[in-house]
Formats: sequence, C-alpha cells, structure tokens
Amino acid sequence: MDILATYWNLIPVSLAQGAVYAFVALGVMIPFRLLNLPDLTAEGSFPLGAAVCAAMLAAGFGIAPAMLFAVLAGALAGVVTAVIHLTFKVTSLLAGIIVLTMLFSVNIRVMGKPNTALFSYETLFTAMLGSDGGSPLTQFALLAVLLALVCGTLYWFLHTELGLAMRAVGSNQLMGRAQGLSTSKYVIAGLAMAGCLAALGGATMAQYQSYADVNMGVGVLVIGLAGTILGEAILGRDKLLRQILAPIVGSLFYFQFVAMALSLGFKPSDLKLLTGLFVLCALGFPILRSRWRSRV
Amino acid sequence: MPETQAGVHVAGLRKTFFPGTVQEKTALNGVSFDLAPGEFAIVIGSNGAGKSTTLNAISGELPLDAGTVAIKGRDVTKQPAFKRAGVMSRVFQDPMLGTAASLTIEENLSISARRGATRSFRSGLKKADRDRFRAALEVLGLGLENRMQDQVSLLSGGQRQSLTLIMATINAPDLLLLDEHTAALDPRAAELVVNATLKTVGRQNITTLMITHNMEQAIAHGDRLLMMHEGQVILDLDRAEKAKLTSADLVSRFHDVVSDRMLLN
Repeated sequence: MDILATYWNLIPVSLAQGAVYAFVALGVMIPFRLLNLPDLTAEGSFPLGAAVCAAMLAAGFGIAPAMLFAVLAGALAGVVTAVIHLTFKVTSLLAGIIVLTMLFSVNIRVMGKPNTALFSYETLFTAMLGSDGGSPLTQFALLAVLLALVCGTLYWFLHTELGLAMRAVGSNQLMGRAQGLSTSKYVIAGLAMAGCLAALGGATMAQYQSYADVNMGVGVLVIGLAGTILGEAILGRDKLLRQILAPIVGSLFYFQFVAMALSLGFKPSDLKLLTGLFVLCALGFPILRSRWRSRV
Repeated sequence: MPETQAGVHVAGLRKTFFPGTVQEKTALNGVSFDLAPGEFAIVIGSNGAGKSTTLNAISGELPLDAGTVAIKGRDVTKQPAFKRAGVMSRVFQDPMLGTAASLTIEENLSISARRGATRSFRSGLKKADRDRFRAALEVLGLGLENRMQDQVSLLSGGQRQSLTLIMATINAPDLLLLDEHTAALDPRAAELVVNATLKTVGRQNITTLMITHNMEQAIAHGDRLLMMHEGQVILDLDRAEKAKLTSADLVSRFHDVVSDRMLLN
C-alpha cells in the first residue's frame, strides 16, 4: 500500500517532468525517424538551451528573449553537426559527439560558471502561474499548451512543400535528388529543428527546476529515445500525426515508469541504468522475437 | 546545329573507376550521341558496357572525368544532380529507389510536381493538385487513383515503378532516363509498366533514353537503337534500319562489330 501511495503522490510531478522532456523527445524523434539520421547533439543542445536561457534571465533579460535565443542557439548547434557530417563526410553520430563535447566548454563560457541558479529570478512558471511557480498539475497544463503549439506548428510545417520535401529526403535521398531536392539543405534544416526543440526543452527545464547545470544533458538523449520508442509502441507510427504525438505520449508514460521505479525503492541514480535497459529491451525485442519464431 | 540546340547533346563522356590501381576500369571511353526533341532511344549492351554509367553521368549522379552534357543547348555538365532534375527525370531499376516509402502516394506526386520549382511554406497538397494527380494515375489503370492517401510502402514493386513513372512525367521533362526500369519486375508487372511508359512518353512526346536487356523490347519500341560495348556506342540504328531487325540479327550484328573492332585493335 505504501508503494501505491508513494506513486500516487508522484503522479503530478512525473507528468510535469514528462512534459518538459517531451520537447527533447520530439527533438530526438526528428533526426532518428524523419531524417533517418541518428544524431546525439541533443546531449549538448539541451544544456546549451538551459545555459543560454539561465544566463540571459540572470543578466536581466525577459523570459521571451531568453527562450528565443536559447532556441536559436540550439538551432545553431544542429547546423554545426549537420555541416560537419556533410562537409567532412563524418557519420552523423560522430559529428554529434564532437559537437556535444565542444558544447560542454561553450556552456560553461555562456554561464561563466558550471551552473546558474534562478531562484531569485522570474521564470516562465512564476510569471504565468504565480510567485510560487504553480502546482505540478498547473505546470503540466501550461506545458501541455506549449507542447500543443509546438506539435501543431510541426504538423503544419511537415505538410508544406518544404516539409514534404524534408520527409522525402529522410525517406530516400536518391529519390530526393532525382526530384530536384538539395539533400544537404534539408538535412541541415532538419537537424536545426531538432536542435531548436532540444534547446527549448533545456530552457524549459532550467526554469522548471530554477537551475541550469552544465551536466544536465547527460543521458537526455536516451530518455528522449525511450520516450519516442515507448510512444510508438502505444500509438504506432503509420500516420504522421501519430509519429509526432508518439514522443510526447511516450515521454509522459516513461516518467510514470520512473515514478513507479522510485516508489519501488530504486534510487534516482539507478534511473539511467533502468532507462538504458528499457531502451535495449525495446530495440532488442523485435529481433529476439523474429529469431524465436524462426526457431519454432 | 539547330537539332542539337533543341534536344539532348552528349559528347565525349569519359570515366575511369579506381584510376591508378589494379582495379582500374575504363567505364566510359568517349560516349557521344545527340537526341532530337521527342526522340525515344533505346540503349542495349552486355553487362559492364557502360549503359548505366552513361545514364548516371547524364543525370549528374556520377562525376565525369571528361565530356559534355547539354539539354536544349544549355550545358549542365557542372550542375549537381538535384539541379539537373529541373530538366530531366529518372526511373531506376530498383522499384524501391524512385519513391519515398514513408510518404503517401499523393505526397510523392506533390514532391515531383514541384521538381525544378522553388518550394515554399505553401501547403504541399491543394485540391487542384489532387485532381491533377488523380487524372494522371487513372492512365495507369491500376486503381492507384483511389488509394492516394496510402503509404507507398504498401504498394507492390510494379505499382511503385508505375508511380515512379508518373512522377517522372507529371511535368513533361526535357529528358526522361529509364534505367532497365522493368528488369526487377515479374513479367506481368513489367508489361504493364512498359505499356504505361509507351503511353505517357508517346502522349507527351518526351525525349527518352531507355536501357533494356530485353532484345524484343529494344526492337519493337522506340525510334532509335544504340548498342554499347566497352564504354562506347558501337552501333546506332535509326527507325527504318531497326524495323528490319530480329533478335538474332541484333546478336550477330553485335558479334560482327565486336570482332571487327578486335581485328582493328
């Protein structure tokens, strides 16, 4: 009973957390699913977004410009990864690792120190939900509105001429060239969009926990991937709308599992191991299943 | 040459793979020909003759060592493949390569309907687009016009190849490149795609270069026959000369030319 009660109390917080990480999960889904180009830059662009937002808030800028520049910085990180990948013919994975490593130094430069506390500054949450920053459920509602806006914009863009072209390039680059599409242009744009979303997640997280830290990106990619895979298992990915909603729904569910694990007595430091095992199972399950079937 | 100005001009294409190594192979050894506007030329030749390499060089997919490709008098040799797509379109041998599997039929058509045009934040699919795509698909007689919102991954190889053909011709290109586009299909699907090809190409009078391994196809269709061997065009027959041929003739002509050349060398 104790376990259930603990979990029950954790639900609102885990929903709010899931909603914050849903931005990152969307930013992970774009390269992995829409571009078919695995990219790890989120590990660096998430803390970059947090660092830029926190540094600007601490310097007295408003919330809107702080978040805008955070998102633009994320886009730039995505562009750098794409350009390294395209010009130097480095695999996208390695290009992302190089960029996220460099971003570690950049993030400290941006903040002037390894972390920035925002407790005495106005944030998105204190501005919208009152000086206490709102209850977890109102925070979740605010984030849900933001997520709906982002999803709506993404859904609209992916149906424009440019969005269709980007999806075509992700699906089949040879076809893209044969239909007159500059594949590089669309890969750059796609990774820039992914960077925007990861950085938006970081900027939101910094304000949510009133704290930005240079290490907050560690493991964020696997969390995003776990959310995407979980959401796809729930919603499927045969329609574009489902593919867009999957990372969000998955992220919300993922943090329910996290809350359950915590109420079962796992320590927060165990979570990365559990998440890794979860992603491994989700990736390995189809292969093991087909192997098992062929044996029977 | 007014004819060259209006049609397709290919001159002196040269390409050597792995130069300076033991695997060095001259794939194109001076390929030249001109196509008049609306001409339907068929390319045959044994494996490794340079047929696909020629097409890939014309489309810009493969960088050349030397040579010129000009369409309607405009030199496109220095343009990357995606720029050349504004004036030429392609259907590949592998039915999986010509379409984007995760997009719907109408989305694929929308991409190709804007080939060579600037893309913007306008909606990719308007009512007028859909009507136009439906009419274009009806020509195939495969019922695809009723499945426009199906993902292309659900289609068979023959259906995908037919769709690729419609995509390649929805805006009449100045040059259509067909790289053995029926070779990977079963005989029935192949016949369907050949008929659709003849219909669309004939109706719009599209200048076409088609590679085939099928001798009957090569003799029965097209205005002109080009035979390639070891990176060169070794036989160039017009419609009248071609009409008198049988497959057996073609094979013996091939051996004549090849043995003559061996004697000369």
